[in-house]
Amino acid sequence: MTISKHERRLVTAVWLVGILAFWEIMAFILKYVVKSEMASVKLPFLHTIFITMFQNAGMLLEASAVTFSRALLGFAIGAVIGVVLAILMSLSKTLERIAFPYLIISQMIPVLGLAPIIFNIVRDMNLSRIIIAAYITFFPVSVNMLSGLKSVDQEKKELLYAIAASKFNVYRKLMLPYAMPYLFTGLKIAAPMAVTASILVDMLGSKSGIGVKMLYSLYSSSMDIFWASVITSAILGIVSYYLVINAEHFFLPWQSGKEGETA
Amino acid sequence: MSETQIQVKDVSMVYTNNAGEKINALDSVSLDIKEGEFISLLGPSGCGKTTLLRIIADLLQPTDGEIIIDGQSPRDIRIKQEYGIVFQQPVLYDWRTVRRNICLPMEIMGVPKKERTSRIDEKLDLVGLKDFGKKYPFELSGGMQQRVGIARALALNPKYLLMDEPFSALDEFTREKLNEDLLEIWGKTKSTVIFVTHNIPESVFLSDRVIVLTPHPGKLAAVVDIDLPRPRRNELRDSPEFFEYVAKIRKCFQEVKM
Ligand SMILES: Nc1ncnc2c1ncn2[C@@H]1O[C@H](COP(=O)(O)OP(=O)(O)O)[C@@H](O)[C@H]1O
Ligand SMILES: [Mg+2]
Repeated sequence: MTISKHERRLVTAVWLVGILAFWEIMAFILKYVVKSEMASVKLPFLHTIFITMFQNAGMLLEASAVTFSRALLGFAIGAVIGVVLAILMSLSKTLERIAFPYLIISQMIPVLGLAPIIFNIVRDMNLSRIIIAAYITFFPVSVNMLSGLKSVDQEKKELLYAIAASKFNVYRKLMLPYAMPYLFTGLKIAAPMAVTASILVDMLGSKSGIGVKMLYSLYSSSMDIFWASVITSAILGIVSYYLVINAEHFFLPWQSGKEGETA
Repeated sequence: MSETQIQVKDVSMVYTNNAGEKINALDSVSLDIKEGEFISLLGPSGCGKTTLLRIIADLLQPTDGEIIIDGQSPRDIRIKQEYGIVFQQPVLYDWRTVRRNICLPMEIMGVPKKERTSRIDEKLDLVGLKDFGKKYPFELSGGMQQRVGIARALALNPKYLLMDEPFSALDEFTREKLNEDLLEIWGKTKSTVIFVTHNIPESVFLSDRVIVLTPHPGKLAAVVDIDLPRPRRNELRDSPEFFEYVAKIRKCFQEVKM
């Protein structure tokens, strides 16, 4: 099946309008049909949330910036660690056998439990955010990158072997570029997760950040602010995802070209 | 074209497959190849053509026998970067444009940047892809991709050009056109070419000599000299002499009852 760019945009637009309309209708039903007393808490009208967001734009942006920048830094560090780990594991089978189980186990510790532990150790909110975001990021990056490095076809390697290329050149000219689409798959999975994790760390007693706004507004029953921060958080996650997509199109032009042809 | 350049001496290859069975892929094959010669390794699939080519290219070590090339081992030749290899699939790097694919071996060899550009232009011209340098592989047809593969193999001006069924994935028309073009390219490069194929007319059209291999185990069944005048054009395929060679080679296979 071929879907043109134009059609794809149309699909996105229909989805977006559909969700917005559905939300508004549900909110309407809750308030005027079911006549729920708590309607504006359970599901306020979307447009009122947007108005709140607009009115508190400065505060929300500032809080977002705090959370997002730490998430981004942690994401970058985690990505680098993930890539380095993947390269090391692809270089040595022994190392892969030793390290891989640890990687898996590391992902079984819930972030909710890990975050306070990290915070107790480092005693710094910013650092905790960064560490947790990095922790969340490195795993999908590492696993995807490794599977990319391992799926390079034999003949592509032999081509370099036949002209006596060094190991360094084999990685530089073949393995790493080949694994790039895999790396981006990992980054796409990790980016929104890093943001979510960063928000979660906010809630553990930070003084700033979007997670703090969410928590405080919930305590002080300022539901409009609460909903505004929830939506803002969701937007942060989406933005992080699209940043990665755009980076992929920019750095891997051949990849997007291929997708355009077959997608 | 004079002296023996590549000596294949009693080369045998026994594979052990996953089930632990021994597969006799090549059984004591001996062969002399002259400098600048175009020879074909011809035979049905499974007769060890790829195996022999890979042994010559130092991608595989034979279980017995040896190869001597200009008094050296295949490994020496590989380290000196004197091989150009073309596979059945083009094996292009998707993330590189046509130009940069051709450039790849030069980067490995450390050809000065200035020289690269002119050499890429030269090779592009040679394979008839002048206007396609900036394209990515996925934008090209199978035949054009294989032309890029050939240009890349020629990038280091290899003394030995090894080709493993390079045109077998292409349609008949494209294949015949590329056969003709390959001869023209070879005329300009003067490389020694070892060309693997399972197509009898193709081997006759291209080669100075056709090495006939038969399977189970892979054995050298016959060597047929092709005394057809060069330069050869595709019209040659309609000549009685051409048919005679094709028939003669076909008979080689019938004699060993396959
Ligand atoms: N790596 C391998 N392990 C086991 N058997 C192999 C291997 N490579 C090739 N063979 C076997 O060796 C024989 C010759 O293979 P090959 O050289 O690829 O033949 P051709 O190129 O003429 O089709 C075949 O029977 C094939 O199955
Ligand atoms: Mg083969």
